[in-house]
Amino acid sequence: MKLKHATIHSYWLMFVATVITVAIVTSSQLVTNRISLLLDRQASELLAADLVVLSSKKFDSEYRSAALEQGLQVSQSVSLRTAVFIDDEPQLVELKAVDGAYPLRGKLERAHDVTAQRSYAEQGPSVGEVWLDSKLGSIISQDLTIGEQNFAASWLLTYEPDRGGAIFNLAPRVLMNIKDLAQTGLVVPGSRVRYRLMFAGDQADIASFKTWLTTNLKPGEEIQDLENARPEMRSALERTRKFFALAIVLTLVIAMAAIAITARYTANREAPKIAMLRAFGISQPSLFKYYLGQLGRLWIAATAVGVILGWATQFPLQWALDGWFGKTLPQVYALRPYFTAAVVGLLALAGFSLPYLLNATATPPMQVLRTVVNRRSWSRGLLMTGSAITAVFCVLVILMQSSLLAIAVLGIVLACAFILPLILGWMVKLLLVSSRRRFWLRQYLLSRLQASSRGAIYVMSGFSLVLIAILLIAVVKDELMGEWQAQLPADIPNYFLINIRSSDVAGVEEFLRQRQIEASTPYALVRARMAQINGVDVDKIRFSHPRGSHSATHTFNITYADALPVQNKIVAGYWLSENRDPAQFSVEEGLAERLGLKLGDQLTMTVGSKTLQASVTSIRSVLWENFKPNFFLIANSELIAEMPQTWLLSALIRDQHKADLKQLLQRYPSITLLDISELMARVQAIVDKATVALQFFFLFALASATIVLLAAIQTGRHEREVESSLLRALGAHTSQLYRVHVLEFTLMGALIGFFAAAIASMAGWAVSVYFFDIEYHFSASLWGYSLVSACLVLTLAGTLVSRRVYNISPMKILRS
Amino acid sequence: MAENNLCIALKQVGKTVNTPDGELDILNNISLDVKYQEAVVIKGASGSGKTTLLGLMAGLDQASSGEVVLLGQNLADKNEEQRSSIRAGKVGFVFQSFHLVKGANALQNVMLPLELGAIENASELAATSLQQVGLEAKAYTQVDHLSGGEQQRVAIARAFATRPTVLFADEPTGNLDATTGRQIADLMFHLRDQSGTTLVLVTHEEELLQRGDRQILMESGRLLAN
Ligand SMILES: Nc1ncnc2c1ncn2[C@@H]1O[C@H](COP(=O)(O)OP(=O)(O)O)[C@@H](O)[C@H]1O
Ligand SMILES: [Mg+2]
Repeated sequence: MKLKHATIHSYWLMFVATVITVAIVTSSQLVTNRISLLLDRQASELLAADLVVLSSKKFDSEYRSAALEQGLQVSQSVSLRTAVFIDDEPQLVELKAVDGAYPLRGKLERAHDVTAQRSYAEQGPSVGEVWLDSKLGSIISQDLTIGEQNFAASWLLTYEPDRGGAIFNLAPRVLMNIKDLAQTGLVVPGSRVRYRLMFAGDQADIASFKTWLTTNLKPGEEIQDLENARPEMRSALERTRKFFALAIVLTLVIAMAAIAITARYTANREAPKIAMLRAFGISQPSLFKYYLGQLGRLWIAATAVGVILGWATQFPLQWALDGWFGKTLPQVYALRPYFTAAVVGLLALAGFSLPYLLNATATPPMQVLRTVVNRRSWSRGLLMTGSAITAVFCVLVILMQSSLLAIAVLGIVLACAFILPLILGWMVKLLLVSSRRRFWLRQYLLSRLQASSRGAIYVMSGFSLVLIAILLIAVVKDELMGEWQAQLPADIPNYFLINIRSSDVAGVEEFLRQRQIEASTPYALVRARMAQINGVDVDKIRFSHPRGSHSATHTFNITYADALPVQNKIVAGYWLSENRDPAQFSVEEGLAERLGLKLGDQLTMTVGSKTLQASVTSIRSVLWENFKPNFFLIANSELIAEMPQTWLLSALIRDQHKADLKQLLQRYPSITLLDISELMARVQAIVDKATVALQFFFLFALASATIVLLAAIQTGRHEREVESSLLRALGAHTSQLYRVHVLEFTLMGALIGFFAAAIASMAGWAVSVYFFDIEYHFSASLWGYSLVSACLVLTLAGTLVSRRVYNISPMKILRS
Repeated sequence: MAENNLCIALKQVGKTVNTPDGELDILNNISLDVKYQEAVVIKGASGSGKTTLLGLMAGLDQASSGEVVLLGQNLADKNEEQRSSIRAGKVGFVFQSFHLVKGANALQNVMLPLELGAIENASELAATSLQQVGLEAKAYTQVDHLSGGEQQRVAIARAFATRPTVLFADEPTGNLDATTGRQIADLMFHLRDQSGTTLVLVTHEEELLQRGDRQILMESGRLLAN
């Protein structure tokens, strides 16, 4: 007997399972990198660059030349506050001078007046012209004197990518060309000028440049990148990324389950042949070597096909995203994704199949003569699980690059792998006990499921795991979407009205009410700087958080309120009104973390020339994505109500009311209008894009599920045929055979569907609450979907794929 | 009609199968009558066609030529389903490798053909049958946990439970050691004597051969001697 002529049964199932795994990894590495880049770029638009350095001193040319050398794009802007005269009235404006490269990311938008059509602009103002904030709309197309120079106010600036950040404390913007700045004579020693040097380029270049920059940074300079972009954007990005990671890991778990099941199936099919070969005197090591070679070849072939498949998935994705968003995915040229995919394929294949192989090559030669139960020794059982666990863990670490998260996912997968067969086994036993009187048909079916030789329980567990993963992706997606919708009700504000004078607040409210424009409660803003924490000057404190000192030197907008703002939650201490303390602050969670603040800490703030001191009495979580006015610090009204302040409110201003805005601005000239619909659309687009990309991983998940399904059906096939012919010999009708067969799959489907739903809802709850920090809603439809789909899919596929069983000749029973 | 007194009648039966190397005759021109309550033992070298013949007689397979009459019914023009209903309740089998339903207990295995034939009080009948093979104590034991001899006894109990007219056994002791094999042989013939069941048995064992009413020798798909 020549070993060469032996072929591996069911080899192709294992092959396809490996191909899918490799393809998933390739595709996820390529696509997530690019989606991630795309998301970053979305966020970059809010910086107008990928990386920004801020300083109050003029930059020398060192950074610029270093960046240009790296092939980065560079742009510069200078901003300062100054007063301009409008109708002989002094008006404080935020002047910003930009060069021709600005903005490196995103686009400027301009219009002829407040209500006119907006259009994109490739560059900022040309020499001699300025663009004005809508607040200054009344002087559009006139001349404006800035410092010592006259400018033509040619356009209204309607959107400026990097205007965010300090959203509420903007004086109206005046945008000019940087070449005009010197002639204004405004930049003199002592003037408060902010210099921004902006960079954009490939992700890798930016990353290495950032590293270089960090080590070369001079005192007073500060780096700004996506990490510290707008909080609402960061939060949406973070959740999207997390969801993406989760979905990919789950898809991969499914694919690996497929490998595990097909490996087991292959080993079982090989066992009789191995017994025979061993009886012929072929040694265990040489058998092992032979199969190792087969596995190696399978891996190489599967890697080649999988990598090509994974690589090809970029194109439909590109197409889908192009069509929807008119954006091309950034290109990624690297070998890493392919390499990772090959390694993951090898790990999964080896981890799952080697122990089975070892077990199979240990098949006693006696099996040739009669069925010998090949009892697994403890050590071998340990090796099997150990190797599978190691494989899953390594893969998770490679892909998630966070061993903590990998351990968490591994824990869940392991729990499923151990607990599922147990519970399923118990469930079958329980059903078996419940009706002893008759054997046919229910007991017969159940005993078939229970028979260890068929491994039905393991296959069912595998299939349950797959279904759980798919359900979990769907459930979490729904929850995230639901959460998102809940945060963005139909009446979400699209404008912030800021810089409202205290004396105008009632008038503005009345104005809006008369026109039935929905608006939020007005909030007072008191501009303050942080002087001391617990009596220590902030510039002397060494913060352990990397963003600590930046946060501390930030200009704060403190508001005062009696009621806790909507969608804020107290996470420590008590809300202001519940304390007697005459001087209190409620601090946002993230700020508290960055500054290391605890309840009871004393904060000293300066407002203009006044100083105020109060203790922290509560810490709040804030839902940044809701586009409502949100605050880092809220004080009790006794503390700051008498301080100089302006007010702000958010409003939903529909198209038919846009014309009224002009009137509002004329009546209350101090007000600045801030259109945030653009910003919202961007955040929404991020979620939408990620969702489209995810459909692709769903396809992979389905392909793996199909492999698991086929393996499940194939696993019992031989036994099923023998059993069918036995029943025939014992006098069963075709209809009885048919019923056994269909019901067996339906029963499996029902059990699988039941468990998958139970575990998916528990896991969905855990993931939502602990991983995404959102509420979870238990749904009955999940159970419905799970049960119906598992029953339907298994019954249909099972019946179709193995319909041969009904015409099996009863002779088979004599010959087997 | 003489044939009406015959349990099984084969007239010039042949069986041809398709193989990759072309058609292959595995049975040639076999004529054989088995009377009711007779015990016929078939022997022959491995590959001589014994199993094929047994399958044809029992209606598990279709003859390529000639005529097979089982229990007064000509099987020639019957399809699988019809042959199955001729067998139902009247034909029993015992196989070399037992073929019990794994994961079920002994009693349930014996109940199976009774329930398939919708026979009332299946569990009582099955229990009686198990008692006859001396396994009442193991009625609720999973068959996977029984020894080979015990498994074959369960199979025999299952075969006799429906009180079949004819029982086919293909090397029933082939998987068992000599002593156990002898016990199984004793049991089968004992039950046959009790019930008057016709017995068609394929075997190598001299023991079993001697106990038949008639011996048939096969060689290369032909009957050599009656
Ligand atoms: N379906 C088939 N295709 C090809 N050859 C077959 C088939 N069934 C049986 N044979 C051959 O017919 C011969 C008789 O088989 P069988 O009846 O099983 O013999 P026995 O039971 O006496 O050992 C054997 O050589 C066997 O290989
Ligand atoms: Mg034979």
